[in-house]
Amino acid sequence: MATLATRARRPGALARWREVLLRPRTLVAAAITVVVGYLALIPLVYLLWTTFSDAQGFSLGGFARAYGDARIGELVGNSLWFAAGAAVLSLAVGTALAYFNVRTDVPFKALFFAASIIPLIIPGILYTIAWIFLASPTIGLLNSLLEPVLGPGTFDVFTVWGMIWVEGLHLSPIAFLFMVAAFRSTDPSLEESSLMSGATRVQTFRRVTLPLVRPALLSAALIMGVRSLESFEVPALLGLQNGIYVFTSRIYQVLRSFPVDFAGAGALAVGLLAVAALGIWLSNVLSRGHAGGTITGKGFRPRPIDLGRWKPVVGGGILLYFFVTVLAPLMVLLYTALLPYYRPPSAEAFASMNLDNFVAVFNLPSVPTALRNSLVLGGGAATIVMALMAVAAWVVVRSGIPGRQLLDHIAFSPLVIPGLVLGVGIAFVYLRSPLPIYGTLLILLIAYCTRYLPYGMRYAVSGMQTISAELEESAQVSGAGWWSTFRRVLLPLIAPALLAGWVYIFVVSFRELSSSILLYTPGNEVLSISIWELYANARFGELSALGVIMVLVLAVLVAVAYKVGARVGLKS
Amino acid sequence: MSRRSALASLGAAGLLLLSGCGGAPTSGPAPGSDQPTAAEAVYAEVDPLTGAARHDRLVELAAQEGNTLSLYTSLNADIADIVVPQFEQATGVHVDVYRADSETVLQRTLQEASAGFAGADVVETNATQMAIIATQGLTGDYEGEQRNKINEQFRYEGWTPTRFNIFAPAWNTNLVRADLVPHRWEDLADPKYDGILSLEVSDYDWYMTLHTYYEQQGMPAADIDRLFADMVQGSKVAKGHSGQVELLSAGEFGVVAASYTYLTNKARVNGAPVDDQPFVEPVVARANGAGLLRSSKHPATAMLFMDWMLNDGQKIILDNGLTPAVMPDGTDPLAGHQVLPVDVQQLIEEGNDWSARYDELVRGGEQLPEK
Repeated sequence: MATLATRARRPGALARWREVLLRPRTLVAAAITVVVGYLALIPLVYLLWTTFSDAQGFSLGGFARAYGDARIGELVGNSLWFAAGAAVLSLAVGTALAYFNVRTDVPFKALFFAASIIPLIIPGILYTIAWIFLASPTIGLLNSLLEPVLGPGTFDVFTVWGMIWVEGLHLSPIAFLFMVAAFRSTDPSLEESSLMSGATRVQTFRRVTLPLVRPALLSAALIMGVRSLESFEVPALLGLQNGIYVFTSRIYQVLRSFPVDFAGAGALAVGLLAVAALGIWLSNVLSRGHAGGTITGKGFRPRPIDLGRWKPVVGGGILLYFFVTVLAPLMVLLYTALLPYYRPPSAEAFASMNLDNFVAVFNLPSVPTALRNSLVLGGGAATIVMALMAVAAWVVVRSGIPGRQLLDHIAFSPLVIPGLVLGVGIAFVYLRSPLPIYGTLLILLIAYCTRYLPYGMRYAVSGMQTISAELEESAQVSGAGWWSTFRRVLLPLIAPALLAGWVYIFVVSFRELSSSILLYTPGNEVLSISIWELYANARFGELSALGVIMVLVLAVLVAVAYKVGARVGLKS
Repeated sequence: MSRRSALASLGAAGLLLLSGCGGAPTSGPAPGSDQPTAAEAVYAEVDPLTGAARHDRLVELAAQEGNTLSLYTSLNADIADIVVPQFEQATGVHVDVYRADSETVLQRTLQEASAGFAGADVVETNATQMAIIATQGLTGDYEGEQRNKINEQFRYEGWTPTRFNIFAPAWNTNLVRADLVPHRWEDLADPKYDGILSLEVSDYDWYMTLHTYYEQQGMPAADIDRLFADMVQGSKVAKGHSGQVELLSAGEFGVVAASYTYLTNKARVNGAPVDDQPFVEPVVARANGAGLLRSSKHPATAMLFMDWMLNDGQKIILDNGLTPAVMPDGTDPLAGHQVLPVDVQQLIEEGNDWSARYDELVRGGEQLPEK
């Protein structure tokens, strides 16, 4: 009887399923999942395949080689210390700055823009070298300035603390971009109620403001941690000098051996993948306790908090931050760019200054093409990724589709795959594909989209998590379809997060080297390759000149993006 | 349902796996088949020719091939940007240059070969990577008058040196007085270099060559190890030769143990207070070279480039501060020096061991004496 009843119900269930599956939202969700999956799974599958197999078949040899090393404990310890330190520093700095910028009447707001973008634009190698010139115990400018007061070698950049400092400052703009988007999207009336109920400002910040932005904070912490775990320039240039080795130094070394030990490098990357998966899981669990969206149907107008007598103190802090992260490194770059070779400031050094390095940069044959290609690729990748991720974030956060978390994990995986492995994986597929993609700019676009999926996903998801479901529901109750709800309600609300993600991807894609250099073809050069060439040829003067030019060009472009974005985003 | 999505993604993964068929994609391409390729027929035809007959025949064949060439190289941009246009001007051939570091040039060449994609006609890169490409059977035979002038120690099978990288100690002339200028490699072990000497983190080929040399000189292994340990003691470890020279110029280091002479020279030409003359003997030299690919679509053009590179190209290399494989007058650029060639075969066979040993060694460099 029971069987009969089930059978009788089946056509109805089938029809319902068919209806659910054919709904436009389901179809869009499926299409996006396929695209994201396609982009992210190629390098992931390639990574897993090379990690778990050798010429004979299945093998765990890579793990034995990677983790059998007696030093692995020390490596992991150093890596975690460095990553946690840099993540905490960048989060604290980025969150504080974002809070002051969005919520208070802090002075010098124009500086925030520069402080949030310029460290991202300066290539990691240059930023690190600028800090060596500033804070090396032997030749650091800051040390020679402070020597009469504090004695020689006040700062030593070649320590784990120095590494944390440089990496943390270099990453703080990402945290800033994340948190600005989050603060813009939260309802300040909650804070006002808390203040009116007698809580102090500090209590309000700790018990109301911070919990409100928890999803963004967790996302940022996750990205910051993983980014510092796989950061290369800082550990290579600062750590090695005193024998501080981290995970990536090891991956680099493994990738240099022959035959290239992809299995060993893959095993290390799989370790990072496990850490990242744990992070995503943790971040989702912790966000679950989050009361849900804070942007609700009730109108809110962010009103800046009056800092009162703290204004000069905070203002001073902002100036200091601006000096430390932007002005000092940029001045060192400009100084280096004007000299034939680097030497500490002296009358002779100033006498030898000229513009030769700038002239030389403009005369490099590949630079105009490279600049154009980088702009096209950066803009293209940022736009494609953020468009995909706007929908993917909805799928992950809102759709209720079973298994949606998997999309989140898949989209995150490219973050931990070493760039060379990602490039080789993509080359492997498109060398065998009948589509004429290998050897065109398109393969670089695919690589960039893949590499920056995780960032786009974090930005979009954290934006989506701050929006209350009730807005979507009321739109639907009022008769709006899924697409118009998405386009007219959700999209404008998450626009600050999408724009922040766009800016981030656009800017950092100028620095992508490890997969670009494998996949580019003559005529398709990008700017990061010009940077690498100058670095490899020890042309630091020209490299600094190019860095200065990049900062100028990108800062203008990003300013334009913000102006345009302000029109579609939230009016503040 | 979550399991279903997992299954779906596994399915996608499986499809991808199937499309590749078989073993790990990075276990290296199948060694080239023994069947001679069309390119090899051209190499075989032109190899015995000499002089004008050879040149004319190559020009004629290159024209039939469309006068285009694809070159993969790790030659520095500032040199390649001179070499390539001059070749184009001399021959009317259009060259597409792919430039990357030697590891990437190798990866790209191997990946393309394993997919049967004819990307490069000529590959020009470091000894180790060239030797790997040659031992994989990807390069064809190249013979010629210029090749025969190259120092016999460096005439490898399947590829031909185009320039040398020479390792020599370099010092900051403001910081290092005459009594601190090193004359022998062993000098660097002296405690007087503590705190000012810098080693590079990936110079295991230099380490291997010098270590093997001392062994051949009959020095006991324990003494050799102590010598290197003393060098590392109190040293600062740097990443990358170019950054190392920049920091040497800036005075962060006083002496760099094994600098590339062309980088030292470039800094000196820019006015930096650095020097490496006279060279510390024996000179450790590693060849960089080029090979003609068996899969080349423009084999005659490739040979034309190779001939030109070993002739007129050598002068450009010399004029730009690099060490050519053959001097423009046909003599050996390393004549008069005691030369220790980096043994390429040893590097391929034992490189990973030496890399690991060197890695262990330089980790001792962390104990900087506090002053």
